[in-house]
Amino acid sequence: MASTRQLRFESPSFAKRIKGMLGVDFYRLFHTPMFYIFLLIAALIPAMILGTSGMEDPQTGMATPALYTNTWNIIAADTPLYVVSEIGEYANMNMVFIFGGIMVSIFIGHDYKSGYVKQLFTTHAKKQDYMISKTLVSAFAMVGMCVTYLIGSIVAGLLTGASFDVSIGSLLCAILGKMIMSLGWASLYTFLNVIFRRYFGISIASSFFFGTGILIIGAAAILGNSSILNIFLYGSSVYACLSANLLTVLTCLVCSVVWAVVYNVLGTFVLSRCDVY
Amino acid sequence: MNAVEIRNLSKNFGAKQALKGLNMTVPQGAIYGFIGENGSGKSTTEKIICGLIHESGGSVKLFGRPHTDGDLRAKVGVLIESPGCYPNYSVWNNMKLQAANLGIKNADAEIVKTLKMVRMEGAAGNKYKNCSLGMKQRVGIAMALLGNPTLLVLDEPINGLDADGMRIMREVLVDLAQNHGVTVVVSSHVLSELEKVATHYGIVRGGKMLCEMTAEELEASCRTYTALQTREMSRTKMLLGCKYSRVEEDEAGYIRVYDMVPAEEIVTYLYEHGILVSEIKTDKIGLEEYYIDLMKEGR
Repeated sequence: MASTRQLRFESPSFAKRIKGMLGVDFYRLFHTPMFYIFLLIAALIPAMILGTSGMEDPQTGMATPALYTNTWNIIAADTPLYVVSEIGEYANMNMVFIFGGIMVSIFIGHDYKSGYVKQLFTTHAKKQDYMISKTLVSAFAMVGMCVTYLIGSIVAGLLTGASFDVSIGSLLCAILGKMIMSLGWASLYTFLNVIFRRYFGISIASSFFFGTGILIIGAAAILGNSSILNIFLYGSSVYACLSANLLTVLTCLVCSVVWAVVYNVLGTFVLSRCDVY
Repeated sequence: MNAVEIRNLSKNFGAKQALKGLNMTVPQGAIYGFIGENGSGKSTTEKIICGLIHESGGSVKLFGRPHTDGDLRAKVGVLIESPGCYPNYSVWNNMKLQAANLGIKNADAEIVKTLKMVRMEGAAGNKYKNCSLGMKQRVGIAMALLGNPTLLVLDEPINGLDADGMRIMREVLVDLAQNHGVTVVVSSHVLSELEKVATHYGIVRGGKMLCEMTAEELEASCRTYTALQTREMSRTKMLLGCKYSRVEEDEAGYIRVYDMVPAEEIVTYLYEHGILVSEIKTDKIGLEEYYIDLMKEGR
């Protein structure tokens, strides 16, 4: 009969556990081409928006009215526009959250597709670690996309000669607010991917669906431009506009953190109750 | 203390009952051969042990603790069905990920040591997706070995391994169990390989444990037989069938007499009937035949 040994099981602290998880997720993020592709996409979106705005209509030969004359409107609208009259008005930094949703779905979906979750959940029994780690890394990736989107907007503005007039304070508050919202959006996408973990395609589609904020846009059509919509992720993301101030940032922070907690608790609950693989 | 102690385990997938009150005891330091037909509940049990799926009822204890205890999880190495690796990453990067997951400090040295154990050190730079099936299995085993696990749960680990790979696998498992006190739960359909390493067996059928035994008990349970060949096989079989209670012809072309009689008696009996025995030997049935017999009895 084989010899037995004295067994000693460590109780790793939360900090140590989350450090290990974050180590894995950041390693994966930086070692996957997808992350860099999405950073590039985020940088190209504003160039495409500004580049196509005011172009000559090939049928009439007339120049279409420029949608954006101010570069910073590619980042955010002048005032919170929950109801958009033209689809073009919709195109600002909030688009990062749509593309970010797809990126997060691919990022998390591969854990299940490759079977890596088997290793992960065997060694890490605590499901909240998984939720927290994925949310933080995905939020980081989306903040990265916000940065490249910002750089892309400035470059596009310079190339097209669009105006750069803005209140710096409000602009900074708007950008900061949107970056903070990345946390809430990342938690939503992480949750959706946990729900649809066995269905890669559905998780991408659902992330895209919720990322467009279509539900809130629908609600806004009924409620109008009401500040009550700020309790939702899309509402607060819109609220971070070029008239933003510190209160806006605070609103975004509260909204983002509260939803992140809610989605993390829900995701942990689902993972704890359901078969993970 | 037992490494794994399962009592009355049940698992339902919708209306389908995969496990029906399964009991299982794996002593610490054992190599536990977990045997059963496809769909008998082996993988389901192993997934429950690893915490990948939840049991519908019953209890699972690992080293005296509930299997959901997070503290002992980092000491469980697994290879369930196929290795959980990212196809576009190199073998090394996949190992690095698992090392980070386990919080191993001296990761590089640990990875090199583990890859050497499974003779994969030369293929560390290969993309996982470009590895052969056997190489992938070895990577999976290496990943399971990272972090000096106390319990290894291996589901069909020798799938796709060549003869050399199987030998390496045997050596690794025996070394881990004998020299490091690692407990191994290993399921496989290649019973002849399992027989070479297992110290304990559990045979599962229809979601229930049919029997558990040590290798010694199996040895004692395996019947001795006398196998022989003559030039008149069909007549020999008929004659022996008249005298002895169980006579069968095996796949290798030998007639087996399972009754406990001296070989001389059989030779003399056949000689008296004008049949010369060209070859005769005594042997024991192996795990595979024991298992097949057991399955037949159950039907």
